[in-house]
Amino acid sequence: MRTEPAETPGRAATETPLAARAVRARKVYGEGDTAVVALDDVSLDLPSGEFTAIMGPSGSGKSTLMHCLAGLDTLTAGQVLVREIDLATLSDRERTILRRDRLGFVFQSFNLLPTLTAEENITLPADLAGRAPDPEWQRTVVAKLDLGARLCHRPSELSGGQQQRVAVARALISRPEVVFADEPTGALDQKAGTELLRFLRSVVDELGQTVLMVTHDPGAAAYADRVVFLVDGAIVEELAAPTRGAILDVMSRLGA
Amino acid sequence: MLRVSLRNLLVNKLRLLLTVMAVVIGVSFVSGTFVLSDTMVKAFDELYTGLTSGTDVVVRSKSAYEADVTTTGGQVRPVDDGLVETVRAVPGVAAAEGSVFGFALIIDKDGVPIQPGGAPTFGTSISADLELSGGGTMREGRPPSGPDEMVIDARTAHQAGFEVGDDVDVVLEDGRKTYELVGIVGFGETDSLLGATLSGWDLPTAQEALGKTGLVDEIDARAEDGVSADDLRGRIATVLPDGVEAVTGEQVAEDSTESVRDALGIFTTVLLVFAGVALLVGSFVIWNTFNVLVAQRRREVALLRAVGATRRQVLGGVLSEAVAIGAVAGLLGLVSGIGLALGIRSLLGLVGVDIPSTSPAIEMRTVVAGLVVGLGVTAVAAVLPAWSATRVAPMEALRDVVPVSRGSGRIRHLAGWVTTGVGAGLLLLIALMGNQRWWTVIATVTTFAGLVVVGPSLARGLARVADHGRRGNGWRLAARNVRRSSRRAAATALALTIGLTVVVAVSVTASSLKDSVTEAVSGGNRSDLILEAEGAGMGISPAVADLLRVRDDVRDVVELREWGAQIAGAGQLVTGLDPRGLDRVLDLGMESGAVTDLAPGRILVSASNAEDLGVRPGDELVVTFPETGPATFEVAGTFGRGSLINAHYVISMADFEANVTSRLDGAILLTVADGIGPDEAKATIEEAVAEYPNVEVNTPADITRDARASVDQLLGIVTALLLLAVVVAVLGIVNTLALSVVERTRELGLMRAVGATRRQVRAVVRRESVLMSLLGALTGVALGVGSGAALARALGDEGITTVSVPLLTVGVYFAIAVAVGVLAALGPARRASRVDVLRAVTTE
Repeated sequence: MRTEPAETPGRAATETPLAARAVRARKVYGEGDTAVVALDDVSLDLPSGEFTAIMGPSGSGKSTLMHCLAGLDTLTAGQVLVREIDLATLSDRERTILRRDRLGFVFQSFNLLPTLTAEENITLPADLAGRAPDPEWQRTVVAKLDLGARLCHRPSELSGGQQQRVAVARALISRPEVVFADEPTGALDQKAGTELLRFLRSVVDELGQTVLMVTHDPGAAAYADRVVFLVDGAIVEELAAPTRGAILDVMSRLGA
Repeated sequence: MLRVSLRNLLVNKLRLLLTVMAVVIGVSFVSGTFVLSDTMVKAFDELYTGLTSGTDVVVRSKSAYEADVTTTGGQVRPVDDGLVETVRAVPGVAAAEGSVFGFALIIDKDGVPIQPGGAPTFGTSISADLELSGGGTMREGRPPSGPDEMVIDARTAHQAGFEVGDDVDVVLEDGRKTYELVGIVGFGETDSLLGATLSGWDLPTAQEALGKTGLVDEIDARAEDGVSADDLRGRIATVLPDGVEAVTGEQVAEDSTESVRDALGIFTTVLLVFAGVALLVGSFVIWNTFNVLVAQRRREVALLRAVGATRRQVLGGVLSEAVAIGAVAGLLGLVSGIGLALGIRSLLGLVGVDIPSTSPAIEMRTVVAGLVVGLGVTAVAAVLPAWSATRVAPMEALRDVVPVSRGSGRIRHLAGWVTTGVGAGLLLLIALMGNQRWWTVIATVTTFAGLVVVGPSLARGLARVADHGRRGNGWRLAARNVRRSSRRAAATALALTIGLTVVVAVSVTASSLKDSVTEAVSGGNRSDLILEAEGAGMGISPAVADLLRVRDDVRDVVELREWGAQIAGAGQLVTGLDPRGLDRVLDLGMESGAVTDLAPGRILVSASNAEDLGVRPGDELVVTFPETGPATFEVAGTFGRGSLINAHYVISMADFEANVTSRLDGAILLTVADGIGPDEAKATIEEAVAEYPNVEVNTPADITRDARASVDQLLGIVTALLLLAVVVAVLGIVNTLALSVVERTRELGLMRAVGATRRQVRAVVRRESVLMSLLGALTGVALGVGSGAALARALGDEGITTVSVPLLTVGVYFAIAVAVGVLAALGPARRASRVDVLRAVTTE
């Protein structure tokens, strides 16, 4: 099913093929007078091997954009392509299988099935696909996220940070095109949050993975290669190689 | 609190419906049973009142005791018809007529006997005084007069296409005769008496036709104006000989209604037992539902407690929710019960049981019973969950995780296994010992009580097995869910256990009965042919035996009759057999004495009953016949194999005839001359009795087959009634799954987000359901087989001599139970597969 091998790190952004992209994505909730435009002709490229952060005030459409890119939600108009596959042409079942085999997810909280152990949670997408995960890759991921000692624990026996790391490992297990992280540090304390962001960074740098993260925390966004600012459903600013200060500048300028 | 409780109820209408239905089924069974039997009693009361309306006083022989009508047909000793004149001469009597009743089977134009299912085929005299004929009226033609004329009821006439002027053939005790149809009788609005066929003649002709020449069964008298029925009764009583009584017509109607009420009593009790099983299962469902609801609402309850609700208010809140459900269930059950009763009544009408029409009788008792049962079952089942709701601490953490069921305590756990073990051991012991009816029930209930406690462990054990399923095919996730909420899973499964236990136990018992019949026929029968009355007929004319006796190709002809009598204060069936040739047609399995010892004044008793009564050969035994009163017999021997002819007490035919008026044979056992094969014999004898189309000629193999078929038929009815309990259990599974799905919305959404297809989500829910039904099926089948075997062993006296487990049937039930698990999951699984992924994974 996979069409390409894992990307090698360090390739120049201009030459990098796109893992996913949105083309004039439009999302409208409701109809007529009550219609709310959540996404207003947003186009966004997610190059392979890049860590992108989306920022914006509440209601700016950043979560909607991510959900649409991840195939969890559908657009009103425009296109979302994952490796040049138009998600709109897929059935619900095909989109589900695409999520399972080619995308990864980390949510703010409640990422794990409480009845499964950490290891079982990590291999869940592979299990759902009815195949064993690549053992070497699994070892790599587990080692990278420092979860070796925790594999047999149930989620209720893990700390919040550990739970989020298990979720990241789960997201990586199928070597996805993109890992979508929705406020992954939102429910964590400062220390665990920082730790998780370092892990995400190393996943991009050392394993060549592509990450798209939604966050409202400038400190978190500073870990990304690029920050995209969304206001009222439109991209208003992009910041490459961001620092916390630069991000705060943009934010204050945008009044967010 | 009340407002909160009621609002809770309305939030999820489907759940409410399922919960209510669990009780409604049981309640409608209860109220339906009551309405049906009350309506029937009322109908019969109206009918009897109508029938005796023109009769003030009835004169008849006293009955030695109030015999069960089903074993005696209500026959009392006929009196000399000279007494009619005596009664007529009593001052104040306006009119008096004698009447007779007896067996008369009408043959239709195609030579087929008209024999409605279960209803009698009787003949009677038609009173010349129309007022004395009660509710009967001439619909067409005129009353019969003279030895060649008869009338029949309108239903039979209509059914067989008889018209006034036709010739009608009737099989009587003495043989077959032809009469001219001169009239057609109706009974008020109904065409027949409860579907019975009626042949009527004038009195002398009826006396002759029914073998009661010079006798009458009763004398009906009407008072002159100004003389009350009671007065007349007193006056007539003074002129009657000993053993004859005078009763008012009103009293006769009341007595008749009373006997209908008694006969229906057994029927009512049996139906109420089935209702009880359904209610027990329903209470499990309610208990489980409330447990789940309370668990899910811990946060809500904690909030209520925090803002100042007292424990009592919390308890009251949950209980009032239960009471509301109970009240709704009671009301719905009542209404649907009435509908059920009406439906069954019209169904009976369709199959030929002509029940007199009347409005449905809904008595206060029915309404009270329905509501009390509905409320009671629901409230009692909700008490424990309600109590546990009061234990929720106000500061209970506002966690968003599924409440995990606590493991049971060690002691409780151990006690559960011990109870289960003791119960199962007891069942085994009982099965080995035999003849322990009550202990069978006690052991079954004990085992079940143990299962209630160890159920969660069993659920976890089963889940552990399922956990080894292939990755990703849903078994593992299903198994984990069952393990997580093992108490809930066990409680759900146990409802199914109850249903399956009774169904399987009944089928094991029935199968044992069938094999016992086969064994009895092959072990006890020595005859070549057995003649019986076709269908639910009253019997065979003794003329048939006479006809066979004179044939050269028939060697032995033994007539068998049975009648109700009282022995040691209990109603029993007494069998009359001709000692001549008896041991050549039947092996009674004598344990003491010999068959040849059977002679007038002597009685053979089954070994088991002899033991119960404490009598041995040589002892005296008093048998009270309803017509003739007590008679003393000498016990001549005991036998062990009476089950073939269903006999416990055997007397000689001479004694039987002396004490019983009816001369109809229940069966005739034959041996044929040497050299005639069974098929040839059957064909020959069928030819010989062609005049009597109600006689069925059976080989022993036919008897076995018919008996097995009739057991199967009964089993079918009983199983159908018990399956209602299984339906309730299935509702319970649906309910539990639906609640679990709601509870796990976020988990299901997460699964969908990370790549579970809708089908996979459905599979998980379905497999969870299958695991629960498997648990119920395993325990139910095991317990059912155990208690069925014990029950079969306990019913040795009823002719069950062997125990057999119908593996195929049990296997089918097992498969059905599992299939039911799949079906029960359909709705919840659909719902689970449609959770909104986005709503589930976003925290707002």
